Amino acid sequence: MNLPTPRHCFALAGIAGFTLVSACSTVKTVERAEPVGQRQMVNDKRVITDASLNRGVRIVGVNEVPGEFLKIQVELLNTTGSLKSFNYRFEWFDANGVQLNSPTSVYVSRSIEGKESTFISATAPTPSAKDFRLKLIESTR
Amino acid sequence: MKSPTSPRALLALGSASLLLAGCASPQATYVDPGGPRTITTVGRINIQDYANAADTMVGSLIDGVINAGKLEAPGGQPAMLAISRIANNTGQHIDTDMLVKKIRVALNKTGKVVTTTTIGLGGQAEDPLAQGIKQQSEFLQDKKNTRLPDYSLSGKIIEQRERAGDVRQSSFVFQLSLTSKAGVAVWEDEKTITKQGTKPTVGF
Repeated sequence: MNLPTPRHCFALAGIAGFTLVSACSTVKTVERAEPVGQRQMVNDKRVITDASLNRGVRIVGVNEVPGEFLKIQVELLNTTGSLKSFNYRFEWFDANGVQLNSPTSVYVSRSIEGKESTFISATAPTPSAKDFRLKLIESTR
Repeated sequence: MKSPTSPRALLALGSASLLLAGCASPQATYVDPGGPRTITTVGRINIQDYANAADTMVGSLIDGVINAGKLEAPGGQPAMLAISRIANNTGQHIDTDMLVKKIRVALNKTGKVVTTTTIGLGGQAEDPLAQGIKQQSEFLQDKKNTRLPDYSLSGKIIEQRERAGDVRQSSFVFQLSLTSKAGVAVWEDEKTITKQGTKPTVGF
């Protein structure tokens, strides 16, 4: 059996390095330094049970849009250098804290590239929805 | 004579109990249809895809029409919606009510929109009995009081497939339009769901 020569080792290291670099492609962004639109931020309470997901998909902020139907937008940031997949679902509650069911309530799958910031939003299903809860879970695949 | 509690006998007993326990394991389990553990297949529209598309469409309708105060209905009543053609341009047989019914239920729950079940495409009522009752009622009363739908909902579901080596990709495009009595599409939106894989997998 032939042992790998130093040239082989160098070539293999090069391929491995290239693969690593291509797998860690991250998102660069540019935006207006002073945005025109001002977000109405919401003080939030977080319950983190999955540290791995929290490292990969971090909640930057939550803002709401005034209107008859409450609209919530959440900014997420992938703090890692690689693609992260996750599922999310919004739940809605009325003024008495009772959950409002909707036939369209479902976990939605999303992916976020390395160092990318993204927004997820949802509109309340009825005008009686006054509170919300966002659930995030790491993709099972 | 060997004792029945010899190590070999115990091993056999243990194996048999494991085998029995294995046979007794459940073959089917209930899963939350809106949860993350539903089956996902590349080539088909799965149940979570309909709910996802419907959720996007309802949210868009609320944002663009209802919350924007653009919904028009006589006398402050909920707007009346009629369901028009939802064309299936995919390669699979699908019941478009998997999408449309979810949207109807969600819109109904807003308290701003109701759907007629007596006026349908080509005169075909969703509820023939209700249509008969309505016609008799109109015959006995003044027909001028008959209320016509304020809006109609139409759309199309399109499928696009791609393949590169072992990787298969399917995109399902859900397109919907809300048309007013004046014949103007006052709201339109599109939701694309793209799935990629090499074989059916569990979860998203």
